[in-house]
Amino acid sequence: MKRKKLLAVLLASAMALSMAACGNDAPADSSTLSDQSSGESTPAESSSDETPAESSSETTGDVTYENKVIMGNTTDLTGDFRYPGWGTSSVGASDQDVGRLTIGYSTQEVTEDGNMVWNDTAVKSHTETENEDGTATFTVELNEGLTFSDGSPLTAKNYLARILAFSTPVAMEAGHPAMVGNAFVGFEEFKAYTGEEAEGASKEFKGVRLLSDYSFSVTVSSDYYPYYFAYTYAGISPAPMGLFLGEGVDIMDDGNGAYLTENFYEKNGDSYVKAAEIEANRYDLTKYPYSGAYVVSDWDASTKQATMTINPEFKGNYEGQTPSIETIVYVKLIQETQLEELTTGGTDILGGVTGGKDTTAALAVVDGENFSETHYQRAGYGKIQFDCDFGPTMFQEVRQAIAYLLNRTEFCQTFTGGYGVVVDGPYSPDLAPWKAIQDEVELIDYSFSPESAKKVLEDGGWIYNSKGEPFVEGAEGVDAVRYKKLTADEANALDGANKTYASVSNTDGVTYATVEVNGEYYMPLAINWFGSTPNDVTDLISTTLANSSDLAATGMVIRSTTGDFNKLLGEIYREPSYGYNGVPTYGMYNLATGFSALINLDTSYQWSHDPAWFTNSSNKLYDSYDIDFPYDIKADKLSYEEAVEASGDKLGMDYLSMGMVYTATTEEEFNQWYMGYVERWNELMPDIPLYSNYYYDVYNSKIENFHTSPFRGPAAALLYANVKGF
Amino acid sequence: MGYDMGKYILKRFGYMVVVLMILSFLMFFVYSLIPFDRAVAEAEPFRKGLKTTENATELYLAKIEELRKELGTDQNVVVRYLGWIGLAPINGKYNGILQGNLGYSYEYDRSAKEVLADPLKNTVFINIFATILGLGITIPLGIFCAVHRGSKRDTAVQVGTIVGYSIPGFIIAIVFIWLFAIVLGWFPVSGMKTPGSNYTGFAELKDRLYYMALPLIVMTFSSLGGMTRYVRASMSEALSLDCIRTARAKGLVEKTVIYSHAFRNALIPIITLVIGWFIGIFSGSIVIENIFGLNGVGRIYILSLNSKDFEVVLLLQMFYVILGLLGNLIVDIAYGLADPRVRVNK
Repeated sequence: MKRKKLLAVLLASAMALSMAACGNDAPADSSTLSDQSSGESTPAESSSDETPAESSSETTGDVTYENKVIMGNTTDLTGDFRYPGWGTSSVGASDQDVGRLTIGYSTQEVTEDGNMVWNDTAVKSHTETENEDGTATFTVELNEGLTFSDGSPLTAKNYLARILAFSTPVAMEAGHPAMVGNAFVGFEEFKAYTGEEAEGASKEFKGVRLLSDYSFSVTVSSDYYPYYFAYTYAGISPAPMGLFLGEGVDIMDDGNGAYLTENFYEKNGDSYVKAAEIEANRYDLTKYPYSGAYVVSDWDASTKQATMTINPEFKGNYEGQTPSIETIVYVKLIQETQLEELTTGGTDILGGVTGGKDTTAALAVVDGENFSETHYQRAGYGKIQFDCDFGPTMFQEVRQAIAYLLNRTEFCQTFTGGYGVVVDGPYSPDLAPWKAIQDEVELIDYSFSPESAKKVLEDGGWIYNSKGEPFVEGAEGVDAVRYKKLTADEANALDGANKTYASVSNTDGVTYATVEVNGEYYMPLAINWFGSTPNDVTDLISTTLANSSDLAATGMVIRSTTGDFNKLLGEIYREPSYGYNGVPTYGMYNLATGFSALINLDTSYQWSHDPAWFTNSSNKLYDSYDIDFPYDIKADKLSYEEAVEASGDKLGMDYLSMGMVYTATTEEEFNQWYMGYVERWNELMPDIPLYSNYYYDVYNSKIENFHTSPFRGPAAALLYANVKGF
Repeated sequence: MGYDMGKYILKRFGYMVVVLMILSFLMFFVYSLIPFDRAVAEAEPFRKGLKTTENATELYLAKIEELRKELGTDQNVVVRYLGWIGLAPINGKYNGILQGNLGYSYEYDRSAKEVLADPLKNTVFINIFATILGLGITIPLGIFCAVHRGSKRDTAVQVGTIVGYSIPGFIIAIVFIWLFAIVLGWFPVSGMKTPGSNYTGFAELKDRLYYMALPLIVMTFSSLGGMTRYVRASMSEALSLDCIRTARAKGLVEKTVIYSHAFRNALIPIITLVIGWFIGIFSGSIVIENIFGLNGVGRIYILSLNSKDFEVVLLLQMFYVILGLLGNLIVDIAYGLADPRVRVNK
């Protein structure tokens, strides 16, 4: 009897579940929307003892919206919002987004097209003065009346706090690299000051001046000036004094430079007392007020959710723009289910969708009525990168031949699903300097052409077999590839690495190696490629290039090795601690590059023939033009035309990249140098750009005026957006 | 008996310390083989600031050396291990596990203890429910099947459990997300609480449970097959014992025969699994936590491995080793309690 009752209860439950399931027969997308539009709530939303939401609601037609937007990212939020990254090189995208929304009134801000411009809302006036000793002073006068979110006034001291604090040994003890003020005069002396007078140390930061309550200046040292982007050194964000200095510390200036009061350097044993306080402030989101459009009103570390509400004191960004959306909730998304989160209301914005498959899926939900999209071309590109100081890839003709052998149009179409374009140089199509030169620049067309590949190789001397005899197409074994006779200099390059060069990962059992024939060295056209896994681009390069019949027919082989991305970086930077074994092995890699602002176009010292700089240069390009045309770019001060004439129209990569930023003073001049740089780059092909893809931001149509760009991501774009009806 | 038991436990603790030391060194040694230098990673922001400074390369290399000294990575693996434990000074200071320093997360830039505190709470929270639900369903179901062995209901459960046992957890998760979150819209796709909510008290618990429901269902469903079949097998064996026949012959009530006599005999193999489950409360599910975006230790574990945050990984693994060793001890003691014939002190 009891069993029957139990069965009855179970059956009833099953029926109830089935009815609930069958009752909701609308498509997944619209079911959620109908829930929202009808004002129905999920069990969680209908909770009775909820803390009242601060957001207001507005009815638009039949639909009631809350003035709230949920946005998310697949990167974890860590709570490091006050100064995202704390000076480290890896900063979480989500933390940065929250930082962008809560830090404001910087003296300069990034525009929609990537330029750094003066922020007129914060800055009343600014001047740039070139000093006789080669330094330059930037003086900034602030607008009065700006306040933090708690109503406390914003003064010049708030702008100097971070520069001063993070140029001291106290900050180093707090875990910061303490390099913030390194471009300014007197940095080394100020950093050496420990609270006690010592030789070579100064308590005053000579190049940083507190001029009045609302004005300050910074003097850029001659090492960093002249420099096209030098004005960006005066791009400074304000912060509550205590956040970076600790409580009770003041900034003073007696005429010789700004300094911190002695209590900043107070010690307890060997440790600075303030170091622990500064470190603790990093994650304290309530102790100090905010300067940006929003304040972090709630941070739940356990569930990784941040809620931001409007800062009523905020007077606007560089365009005077103030926020309309009352509450922004930032959540963690899962890559695999983020689209479903969008359609079911778990997020209102899905940012940065790219790649053929994902883009197609995301665009499938866009109907204009419920979901909309905005997109932009990525400021950067995916690429094949070469090591240019040893092996076959040290020769320009080999790099060019590889470019000819890869059908990049097809590659781009396959990888991006049509949501991307092919580029031929260090640019992306939306980049302002590229737009300025694109009609004039003369670039080599690297369209797919095995014949052109063969021709450049033959012209470059890749005409032998392993016995030093003429190369015969269709030969087998070690003679299946072309060889080049090396000059003495070429054979001795990189401590003789070319003499012992050999292919690796020889899965077919054939090892191609440099051979010595009658005292001459012949190098095989066998390229060692390292690709990271898992990576769709690696797979695609493998099928479309490394294993293509055209490559073999040209007399070239590409040996594929795959592994961890850190191992790839270790090989590029030749860093033993990342797995580099001391023997240069790989000449080709695949990865991507990007520009977060136009200043990233500064590639000065990346192509130098000075070996000391090779640790900083990823391509290690040896441009013979730079060796043939000796120079001292700062002393010579040649204009672009003068330099072209003096070099016989043979300016090298190093010269061009430095001329761009150390000689140019106007946008026109910068673009002129940039054009020369792009043309030379396109000729030398240190990288082969593969694709510059589109990024799609798909969002709930309740959001209006939502426009993103390569330099204005979804978080920053929310400042300009509004919820329907508000 | 009490004295013997105490002595036995002490002896086992002694063994545990030795095993712990050996395992901790092996783990530390394995991670030290991975080609990664924390000093180089930490020097990166410094390098960026040196762009146009003269003798930049020398300064950069000097910084790396300074950091290696500070972090102790310039020492050999034995010294580094002892430093990590707290038995040797690193950069002139004893600052290891014995001194309360459980490690540092360079990825999150805070102590490993702080990084793991919240995820551990979340993992325990969800696993307690999953374990109770799992055991609450599987033990009665296993007993039921054993008692009604060969019946249609038993056959149906056997088929169901073998299907559940054969399907990987992530497949079940994906199917359940599609069905319950997307098609039916009963549960959220992922996450841990309603975005922007600020609930307190019972509402907070209710909201948390609402978000935990789907992962919980998946975890419970995934675990049903194995345990049910295990309990059924143990019970079937116990029910065929002579003593059970004797008990029935004596005229004992069937319930008493099953729960008092047969189940106790079936307990020993089950105890091993049950205690394993409870210890598993502290270890996160890498698959479930990643699919549902739960901030648990399983997720942190995989994130830390990917970002070479080895001090966090080592701390977690040490934690698991200790749990495993303790679990074994508890299992052995529990055997004795469940079956007086097993004398752990002998």
